Amino acid sequence: MIKVENLYHSYNNNEKFQAKNVSFEIKEGEVFGFLGPSGAGKSTVQNILTGLLPLQKGKVTVDGYDLKQVHNKRFNRIGVSFEQSNIYSKLTALENLKYYADLFDVPTRDPEELLKLVGLEGKGNDRAGSFSKGMKHRLTFARSMINNPKIWFLDEPTTGLDPAIAATIKDIIRSEKAKGTTSFLTTHNMYIADELCDRVAFIIDGEIKLIDTPKNLKQQYGEKLVEIEYVKEGEIYKETLKTVDDSDKEKIANIIKSYEIKTMHSKEATLEEIFIQVTGRGLI
Amino acid sequence: MKMFSSYLKEMKIASRGFYFYIEILVAVILLLVVLFAINPEPDGKQVEYLYYDMSDEVFDYLVDKDITEGRARWIDDTEFELNPIAFELKNEDTGKVVSYDFKDSKTVTARTFVGLREKTGKIGKTAHILDSEEDALRLSFQNGNVAATTTVNEEGDFSYRYFLQGYETDRYSNMLYVLHTYSQDEIDAQMDTQVIRETGANTVPMDNQEAVVPIFVVIAGALMGIFIIMAYVFLDKDEGVIKAFAVTPSSIWNYLVTKIFVVMTTVIISSTIIVIPIMKLRPNYLLFYLFLLVTTFAFSSLGLLISSFFDTISKAFGVLYTIMITLALPAFSYYISSFDPVWLRFFPTYPALQVMKDLLMGQGDIANVILYSLVFLVSGILLLAMANSRFKKTLTV
Repeated sequence: MIKVENLYHSYNNNEKFQAKNVSFEIKEGEVFGFLGPSGAGKSTVQNILTGLLPLQKGKVTVDGYDLKQVHNKRFNRIGVSFEQSNIYSKLTALENLKYYADLFDVPTRDPEELLKLVGLEGKGNDRAGSFSKGMKHRLTFARSMINNPKIWFLDEPTTGLDPAIAATIKDIIRSEKAKGTTSFLTTHNMYIADELCDRVAFIIDGEIKLIDTPKNLKQQYGEKLVEIEYVKEGEIYKETLKTVDDSDKEKIANIIKSYEIKTMHSKEATLEEIFIQVTGRGLI
Repeated sequence: MKMFSSYLKEMKIASRGFYFYIEILVAVILLLVVLFAINPEPDGKQVEYLYYDMSDEVFDYLVDKDITEGRARWIDDTEFELNPIAFELKNEDTGKVVSYDFKDSKTVTARTFVGLREKTGKIGKTAHILDSEEDALRLSFQNGNVAATTTVNEEGDFSYRYFLQGYETDRYSNMLYVLHTYSQDEIDAQMDTQVIRETGANTVPMDNQEAVVPIFVVIAGALMGIFIIMAYVFLDKDEGVIKAFAVTPSSIWNYLVTKIFVVMTTVIISSTIIVIPIMKLRPNYLLFYLFLLVTTFAFSSLGLLISSFFDTISKAFGVLYTIMITLALPAFSYYISSFDPVWLRFFPTYPALQVMKDLLMGQGDIANVILYSLVFLVSGILLLAMANSRFKKTLTV
């Protein structure tokens, strides 16, 4: 559905690239995570894919359309949920959705149903300007689904939302995936990526460092660990030990034999830990 | 359909915002000011205090002639309270200064007639005839108006003395001088050599109220159009909604044209508020609205082009202010007929103002109106095409 080959982009049209030799391919129905810290180049790549930035160098096809040419019709099959809420504050939630529905040439979803889906039921006639930040974010998210997109760009879809609403948003993404929607998810939240993505790309300084499934990454880069909490001479101690290291294995056996065990959990490396391991940089 | 939906959305947003009401409020305030604070009669406030130093027979002959020929009519006598006053008179010819100091107060009654305008029959001036030159002078300085004395000597020759306040123009002083220095035959002979072009048959000039309308209509359509359309675009940029629009199948062209339609609607409403109550049935409304729409279209397109160069209205403000002041300059020429340099005629608001004035007076030459409408239409299309091209690159960046 999306194919990017040797993409370069510079905001100042010089040799200082915000995207450098970026190449990847996303298959139909896949949820592809684009992960990296702020300023890594995630939004630059997404903006090129959505047509908000011009394609300077490289070859990009989205849904079969070559982005070197302008094809407004392609947006009938594309939905974009922006990180920053961008809705008409003077219009009500329903008016916002109905207006955008009119801009598409394809059958659109019922605005009331979409509001219900994102937990804004009963708020349809309230002006969007009176909404909280989270509500605006949900309205922006709902708007991105108005045209039943086949390719869905999601920029930090759960940022700033409370856990319950974030869980709802994640469920919606899963349900759209089940319908066959291809999603391009841009985030710096590795837990979301881990939960939702079929594959992830780590991007830093405009370059993709690796692309793989979260499972493969954990197998390849993650260490198998055990976290033990035990009582020694009346005090509680906590240690994280590797199950593949001989000295640690001996230590685990000794703790079990000698002390009272309070808790003991096996632990996988997180995507965040792997990201740091691969790129040498944190995600903030 | 998309454009209509965008237009309805834009109208909803505009009607719930501040800018939409600015222009309408300005129109309502201006209408009230024009109707209740501006005297419709041109020079209607011109008041003269006259003293005729001549026999009653000669006086009656002079005034009766004007009255029978429809140039004047008597109205009720006017009573004036004369207060103590001191002033100096300087003779412009000799330079001699005479001081006056009146310490008494008294009431005087003046016979009053009004001078009527030739074409409209409306009042042009009010003249109060006093019993003495001294009273005429006191009133003149008390109220800041012109006084004049007309004398007939024993040979039957008239002599005139004017008492001006000092703020009158040289042109006015010279006119008074010429009027009484040369014989009527000499003046007539001179006038015969003048080429007089009639700009319209049976032209009725605008009164003071009507004269305000072309300025408002052009300024509202042009300058407010530029300002308001820029405000709308920058509001959208600020809210980020342009990015959301850019990822729909609708075109930037659609977005820009919709904005222009909103400004056109605002300008039509605000202009109608002013034009209909003041001009009534005088204009050719079909041509008026046609010209109003094409000028608004052209100036709004200019506003769009300017806004395509900036991210925020604060960054655009310097250029916006300069352009608005520049485009407003022809308004000075409109009010001050002596200020009409050739370079000013190249400003688009200059022909807009002249054509609009003709249209509102109900005397617009259709071919001329259509010609200028086409010029504004083509200019608007070119400006819009340039704005569209620039916005494709900058609207979402």
